Amino acid sequence: MTQTNMKLEQALEVQALLDGQLEAGRKAEVERLVQDDAGAAALVAELQSVSHALRTHESPLAVPDSREFYWSQIQRRIAAEEVVRDRSRSSGSILGWIRWLAPALGVAAVAAILAMRGGSPTTLADSSVMTFRSDADAITIHWLN
Amino acid sequence: MGKAATKGRDKNGAIPEGSPLASRSSHDGLNKPEAGPSIHTSLKHDYTSAPDEALVKWSQGGDTEAFEQLVFRHRDKIYARAMIMMRNEEEALDLSQEAWVKAWQRLHQFQGESSFATWMTRIVINLCLDQIRRQKKIRAESIEQLDEEAGGVERQMPVEHTNPTEGLEKDELRKRIDEAMGKLTESHRTVLVLHEFQGLEYKEIAKKVGISIGTVMSRLFYARRRMASLLRGLQRERTEE
Repeated sequence: MTQTNMKLEQALEVQALLDGQLEAGRKAEVERLVQDDAGAAALVAELQSVSHALRTHESPLAVPDSREFYWSQIQRRIAAEEVVRDRSRSSGSILGWIRWLAPALGVAAVAAILAMRGGSPTTLADSSVMTFRSDADAITIHWLN
Repeated sequence: MGKAATKGRDKNGAIPEGSPLASRSSHDGLNKPEAGPSIHTSLKHDYTSAPDEALVKWSQGGDTEAFEQLVFRHRDKIYARAMIMMRNEEEALDLSQEAWVKAWQRLHQFQGESSFATWMTRIVINLCLDQIRRQKKIRAESIEQLDEEAGGVERQMPVEHTNPTEGLEKDELRKRIDEAMGKLTESHRTVLVLHEFQGLEYKEIAKKVGISIGTVMSRLFYARRRMASLLRGLQRERTEE
């Protein structure tokens, strides 16, 4: 078995072989390298031992708080988020109503103004009214001529 | 975010007066996941011996006691995963709690394709990645870290023919692994955790972290070699003693 100085690309391919992530077309060649080259074989052994150590020796940490305290914190946060969500829902529904009512209120206001100005019944058809409405901005603008 | 979990700490775990939950029992205190009506479960289950699948099903119906049991069963693992990513107890605690809040809100999405524990670890890992991204925006990594990003000295380091973990006691090895993880940069540690602990493939890591597959491979390689180097350091210390 010989030992050559592997290039980084070769080392990454050896690693990919170990992880089962090497493309099929390169597999045979890299397997041959690991078989024939002592450096490549040692690299496989090193990467394997680190990988095994990590997977089998994950630190068994425990939450530093008591069960009750930890759970109460989670409860508080869920409750707080629910309050925020409920608020945004209710304000969202009010905005929705305003969005739909705004044009109707606008037309009513125009009709009322025209009625007051003319002193006689005036219909919208008699006037030149231009309306611009943006749902995205929740606004309605009326131009009166 | 980090302060939310520690504000007004009450080590007895009591819910303060005036809280939305103060007048309710832990059993019916919260709304059903996905904003359904409050559920007042009258049936009592044997929560401690019930399998996760049953607890999830009951939780999906708004049973907070079942959810509390899930928290109790898996809280250490979720916290440990957050801790290994963040290396900061307060942040890990905060993010692990946040993960449980998200889990409660998204329980209806859990269809049982994976185990509940796997689903939960995915949530906490995603929260950790978001947090790391936010922090990276705030502070640039140091020159030393950038040097490590390029591979540092370990990349050129000759491969040794000795097993870096041989002869180490289980507890010693755990301690050393933990220390070594702390010596990696965030970017290397992240890739290592996603691959070794979460079992993600290169392309999945690349997508999650937003880097190329080549970068995943080189970061993983560097991280593993650095771990081997640090573990060998311990072996040598022991031999010299």
